[in-house]
Amino acid sequence: MKLYVSADMEGTAGICAWAQVDPSNRHEYPRSQIAMTQEVRAAIDGARDAGSAEVLINDAHWSMRNLLWEELPDDVRVVSGSRKPFSMVYGADQGFDGAFFTGYHAKIGDAGGTLAHTYSDDVLYNVSVNGLACSEALLNAAVLGIYGVPVLLVTGDRCIVRETTRHLPWVVGVSVKDGIGTNAAESMTPEDARAAIRAGAREAVARRDAAQPFSFTPPIVLEMETVRTEHADFIELLPRFERVGGRAVRFAADDYLTAFRAFLVATRIASAANLPA
Amino acid sequence: MRLYISSDMEGVAGVCAWEQVDARTPHPEYERYRAFYTYEVVAAIEGARSAGATEILVNDSHGPMRNLLLEELPTGVRVIFGARKPFSMVQNGGGFDGAFFIGYHGAIGDADAVLAHTYTPSVVYEVRLNGVVCSEATLNAALLGYWNVPVLLVSGDRTTVDGVRTMMPWVRGVTVKESIGMFAADSISPVAARRAIYEGAAAAVSDRAAARAYDVASPVVLDVQLAKVEQADLVATIPGFERTGARSVRFIDPEMPVVFKAFVATFRLGGLA
Repeated sequence: MKLYVSADMEGTAGICAWAQVDPSNRHEYPRSQIAMTQEVRAAIDGARDAGSAEVLINDAHWSMRNLLWEELPDDVRVVSGSRKPFSMVYGADQGFDGAFFTGYHAKIGDAGGTLAHTYSDDVLYNVSVNGLACSEALLNAAVLGIYGVPVLLVTGDRCIVRETTRHLPWVVGVSVKDGIGTNAAESMTPEDARAAIRAGAREAVARRDAAQPFSFTPPIVLEMETVRTEHADFIELLPRFERVGGRAVRFAADDYLTAFRAFLVATRIASAANLPA
Repeated sequence: MRLYISSDMEGVAGVCAWEQVDARTPHPEYERYRAFYTYEVVAAIEGARSAGATEILVNDSHGPMRNLLLEELPTGVRVIFGARKPFSMVQNGGGFDGAFFIGYHGAIGDADAVLAHTYTPSVVYEVRLNGVVCSEATLNAALLGYWNVPVLLVSGDRTTVDGVRTMMPWVRGVTVKESIGMFAADSISPVAARRAIYEGAAAAVSDRAAARAYDVASPVVLDVQLAKVEQADLVATIPGFERTGARSVRFIDPEMPVVFKAFVATFRLGGLA
C-alpha cells in the first residue's frame, strides 16, 4: 500500500501560537519541528503496523522544510521546500492508495480553531467551492480525489477533525487538542498524541476499503473573500477572475484542478498587495 | 479636443541615473528632477492648449505615480495620482482624441537608452505582442489603440523617440537627449526641452488628423521572458498561461485589456519570486 502524507504544523499537540510555527523563531520553533516530526513518524509507524509500505511525505508547512530527516524512517521519501505546484498536495498524481493529513488546523473564521487559517491568513478572509466554505483539508482532499486517492486520516485540533469527518465520514480523526480561541488550546501531551496518532493511523489503513475519494461536482465555482480591497484589486488582474464585491472574487472552471491552481495563484498575487505601493 | 497625457520620468532632459528618479528612497537629486519633470508636462499641456486641446487628463506614470508637483500645473487639467492602477500608465485612457507620452524611455534591452526598462526590470527581460518586441510606449499604445486613441507625441531620448516612430510613423517626436549607454546622456537644457516640447505638442495636436490608433491584431499573443526561472514558476500558474520555456510564458486572448492586465499580473507575481 502506497501512502501519501501531507504534513502541516499548526495542528500538532501543544502548539497554540504563531511563534511556535514560525521558522524564523529561534526559541520555540525548533521544539515544534521535533514535535511535528515525531507525530509524522507516529502516523507512519501506525500505517506500517497495518501494512503500508511505500510512503511519500510532503512537508506542507510555511517554508516547507520543517521535518527533521534524522527522526524519520530511512526508507521514506520527503518533498521539501517551496514553492511547488499544488503546494500542500504536490505529487498527489503519483498513484497513491490513500492519504494522511497530519498536524492540520481549522479554516479561517472558525471559532475555537487553534491558529485557524486557510493557506494565507493575511490575505484570505473566506474561501468556498461550489458554495461550501473550505478548509485546507477540504481543498486538498479534492485534489487528491481527482487522482482517486481517498483521505484516510486527519490529525489536528478538534475543530478541523470534526469538520473533516463531517464532510468525509470515512476519515479516521485524531484530535490531539481542543482549541480555546485562536491562541490557546487544551492539549494532550506529545507522548499521548503520538500514541493516539499511531493507533488512528493503524485503524485508518485497516479500514481503507471503506474510504472514498472526495470530489466537488463540476462545473466548479471558486469564491474568495479577501482581507482587504487591495488584495482583490490584484486578484482581479488575473484572467478569468470576476470581481463580485469590494473584497470578493469569483472564478469558474470546468475542472477542480484548474480552480485549485487559480486559488493558489490568486492567494499569491494578493500577497504582493501587502508590499509597499 | 480631448487629450490624454501619460508622463514618465526617465526620459526627462538631463536624467541619467536612478537616484534622480527614485521616489521611494528620495535622493536630494530626486526633488530637483521632479521639478524638471513637472515643467516638461506643463510645457506639453500649454503647447497642446495653444493648438486647441480643451480637456486634458494627465496620468502620473512613474514609480509610485505621485511625483508631479500639483501646484505647478495649470488650472483646468485633471490628474491621475497614485499607484497600482490595473491599466497602470494608461489608466482611464479611453475616450480621448489623442495621447502624449512625455518623459518616456527605451525598452529593456535597448542599447544607448538611458535607464531603459519595461515596467519591472527585475522581472521582465523581454516582452512581445504578436512577436514584436515592445517598449512601455508600444504596450501602452496598444491598449490606447484598442480604445481607438492615437498617440500623437513622444518625448524622451533619441532611442525611445526613434523606436516609437518606427512602429508609429505618425507620432511626432521630441528628442531631449542622446543617450550614451544606460547611465549617461548628452542632453539639451531643461529650458530648451520645455520649449521643444511646447512646440512639438502644438504641432502634434494641429497635425492629429494624420495619426492612427496603433492596431494589434486579435487574438493578441503575449510572450514574456522573465529574468529568473523561479519567476516563471509562479507566473506560469496564472489561468490561461502557457510555459513556453524555462524563463518564458505565453498568454493569448482576443481582448487587449485582458492581455494588458495579464502582463501587469505577470510582473506583480514575478516580483514575489
